[in-house]
Amino acid sequence: MQKGRWALALTAFFLSTGLAQERLQLCAACHGEGGNSTNPQIPSIAGQPKLFIENQLILFREELRKSDQMLPVVKGLKDAEVIRLAEHFSQRAAKGMEPGSASKELMRKGGSAAQQLRCGICHLSDFSGQNQIPRPAGQREAYLEAEMRAYRDGKRTGGDTIMAAALYGVSDADIKALAHYLSRSSVRSRAR
Amino acid sequence: MNKLVALAVAAAFAAPALSQDKPAPPPAWKQGMPAKMKDSKLAPHAGKMTETPASDIPVSKLKVPAGFKVELWSSGHPGGRAMALSDDGKKVYLGTRIIGRVYEVSDPGDKRTVRVVVDKLTQPAGVAFKDGALYVFAIDKVLKFDGIAGNPNAQPADMTAKFDLPKEQHHNWKYVAFGPDGKLYVPFGSPCNICEPPTKEYGQIRRYNPDGSGKEVLATGVRNSVGFDWHPKTKELWFTDHGRDWVGDNGPQDELNKVSKPGGFYGFPYCHAKGVPDPDIKKPDPCKGVTLPVALMGPHAAVMGVKFYTGKMFPASYQNTMFIARKGSWNRTKPMGFDVVNVRPSEDGKSAKVTPFMTGFQEGGDAYKFWGRPAYVAQMPDGALLVSDEQVGAIYRISYQRPKAPAKKQK
Repeated sequence: MQKGRWALALTAFFLSTGLAQERLQLCAACHGEGGNSTNPQIPSIAGQPKLFIENQLILFREELRKSDQMLPVVKGLKDAEVIRLAEHFSQRAAKGMEPGSASKELMRKGGSAAQQLRCGICHLSDFSGQNQIPRPAGQREAYLEAEMRAYRDGKRTGGDTIMAAALYGVSDADIKALAHYLSRSSVRSRAR
Repeated sequence: MNKLVALAVAAAFAAPALSQDKPAPPPAWKQGMPAKMKDSKLAPHAGKMTETPASDIPVSKLKVPAGFKVELWSSGHPGGRAMALSDDGKKVYLGTRIIGRVYEVSDPGDKRTVRVVVDKLTQPAGVAFKDGALYVFAIDKVLKFDGIAGNPNAQPADMTAKFDLPKEQHHNWKYVAFGPDGKLYVPFGSPCNICEPPTKEYGQIRRYNPDGSGKEVLATGVRNSVGFDWHPKTKELWFTDHGRDWVGDNGPQDELNKVSKPGGFYGFPYCHAKGVPDPDIKKPDPCKGVTLPVALMGPHAAVMGVKFYTGKMFPASYQNTMFIARKGSWNRTKPMGFDVVNVRPSEDGKSAKVTPFMTGFQEGGDAYKFWGRPAYVAQMPDGALLVSDEQVGAIYRISYQRPKAPAKKQK
């Protein structure tokens, strides 16, 4: 897309949604242009399910999901702004795919762990997520690994108890393989 | 090359099971899921944590029997579910789960106002009110706000240490209430879909003195009870209990139980509904010695709040019958519940008849098309009923107008 058209489209978008450009720039500074993260530690939010983004913003705002990075950004956000931000990022195209080549062994191990843990029931069989449940497919590997460990160790709380239960007793090695496998699962369907 | 062979050999010999740091039960939600359901798409419905504007709440879709009227009483309290009324009935305190807040809804008479009393808690679902004090039960914390109704700045006293809360979180969000004996009743759910609870402190309903002393276990073998009330005449405790998941669309059904004497065993995890043995957790004579439910409340219906009606506003035939909210199913291919039912105990109290009372949250048919989920029922001083809707964060008021002319018998 040419620069002029891009700017025009952006302007039209801001006018239609009332989202402050500064706010979106703030998001993009860490989560990448359009929500596709280039930082391994920071999640991609492009094309995640709308309700999932909404819920996470609220959990950060309410200090139920604790993050020193996110809190200052979301503090004082009104529900209506949360909904608009969620709408915006849920509609961006997810690029996905971790750079670097996949390890055959980790892919096999991670795939089998995902089967046994039945990740696909909630996250759907292509791991594209639904409603309040995120899309792990194509998410940053290091981020996935850190968050799964945090769930297992009771350090990521505030949401429902299901993820902590799902990862109860799962080894570090299996979590590593799961993160490798999920981050390299292709982003097939557009998130709902 | 050698390395590759070694890898392949290692892979071939690697146990197909997940390597575990320590022996652990499968996760709560998955326990009891048969292999044939591994591709099931059934998952809990998403809650909503943002405010739903009053104009987006389709109250006119709600249906109640002739002579009754439903109106939107308050909104703007996302996730609000269990209700506790202040002593004078002019304030309603609302517990929540994920959003971590307790709300206070004030009713000066015309338009309600809402404020957050406390936030940042882990599922503060349990709220109870007695002698000017609000009690808040989160999964891991108990707070008491003295004089809160008159003093919005009342600071809480932390009572957590007195109540001996176990550490597992699943099914340990609470409904709490004061009984006619002045004691505080608190359930402790089983931390799984189906399992032998890890320790004895789960699967119970207990009662305490208001200060947390005098703990007594009233019922065991309870899976997940988040609603109860006392019969106005017999003073017996009636409680709802959610049936287990992943055994198909038709059961085992949710239960309505009665505590005639303390210490009863209500069957979990061996025996469900009116004598259905569990297919996974087996033992000989699984239903022997089990106190069976008074009534079955529908498979996966998510039966929640219970309220015995004692008001003067509704027709006399409703006296001492229960209104029970069924939040609605997820672990079922077709929707069940999403309504408030009227439950009439038989003379001897050994059975009960269930009749739909408030419907319209779900658009009929076999597909999940719901906009609201009724969770709890409360009675106002004037005899009107309040019904909380956890999905859109609203409370409805149901009133009754006696027909002027001799009209056909209502109901």
